[in-house]
Amino acid sequence: MVPFVIEILSVGLLVSAVLALFLDEVVYSVAALAGTFLFTALIYGLSGSLFAAIFQFAVSIGTLAVLFLSGEMLGDKPLKKASPTKIAALFGAGIVLSLPAIFLSVSGESGANSNVDFGSALWDLRGLDVLFQAIVILTIALGIAIVLFEKKRKGAQ
Amino acid sequence: MDFVILSLVMLAIGIYGLLTNRQLLKVFISVELIATAATLNFVMLATGQGLGQAMLILAFATDTAVSGVILALLVIVSKRYGTSDIGNIVTLMQSKEEDDEVESA
Repeated sequence: MVPFVIEILSVGLLVSAVLALFLDEVVYSVAALAGTFLFTALIYGLSGSLFAAIFQFAVSIGTLAVLFLSGEMLGDKPLKKASPTKIAALFGAGIVLSLPAIFLSVSGESGANSNVDFGSALWDLRGLDVLFQAIVILTIALGIAIVLFEKKRKGAQ
Repeated sequence: MDFVILSLVMLAIGIYGLLTNRQLLKVFISVELIATAATLNFVMLATGQGLGQAMLILAFATDTAVSGVILALLVIVSKRYGTSDIGNIVTLMQSKEEDDEVESA
């Protein structure tokens, strides 16, 4: 049951990815990207990686909120709406692209066979990485804030 | 179901979008697809194990930082040039440089 559901979700993942890239209207593209994130989170959850599913869901909600707002405010409006034929063609392309993943196989034995639980993997094995990543994110956030502030100040002058 | 092939196909779609789309928002969506393809490998090659999920969170941190930089660029460029089309932005930048050169001469 679950492998069959995961295959359907994988097809949906690729279809929504194709739609996200090739639809002309930005809002529809972002909606398709939301589908991509949702399918990814469902695949993680059904594969037994519950923490990954929750994080994927949480991060994607933040990204999508920002993207919907900026897409509506800053995106260029297309001259004409996408025709049903084009949408059907994109659906077909997504389904065709997902066929190799269903019928072919290149994976060997996974090298990650350690039975480390999530908490100890994050804090014992990758603790320093987590700390450095937090510093990198804070630095980038500060840099973006400074750049935007400079632009605002120059605009005011 | 082979998730390595699935993530390779997603990576190919993302790179194709990155190379062919001219709107900055679509470029951002392409980057998100590439990041999703990478994180899919992390999780599915270590299904149910802690290490894969820990690496996914680290990948998310990088992805979020990249998203922040791209969105800041998008806001600055859209406010300055009034468009998010890369081709138009390059044309506007060149014409502005020419105007500056004429003014300085």
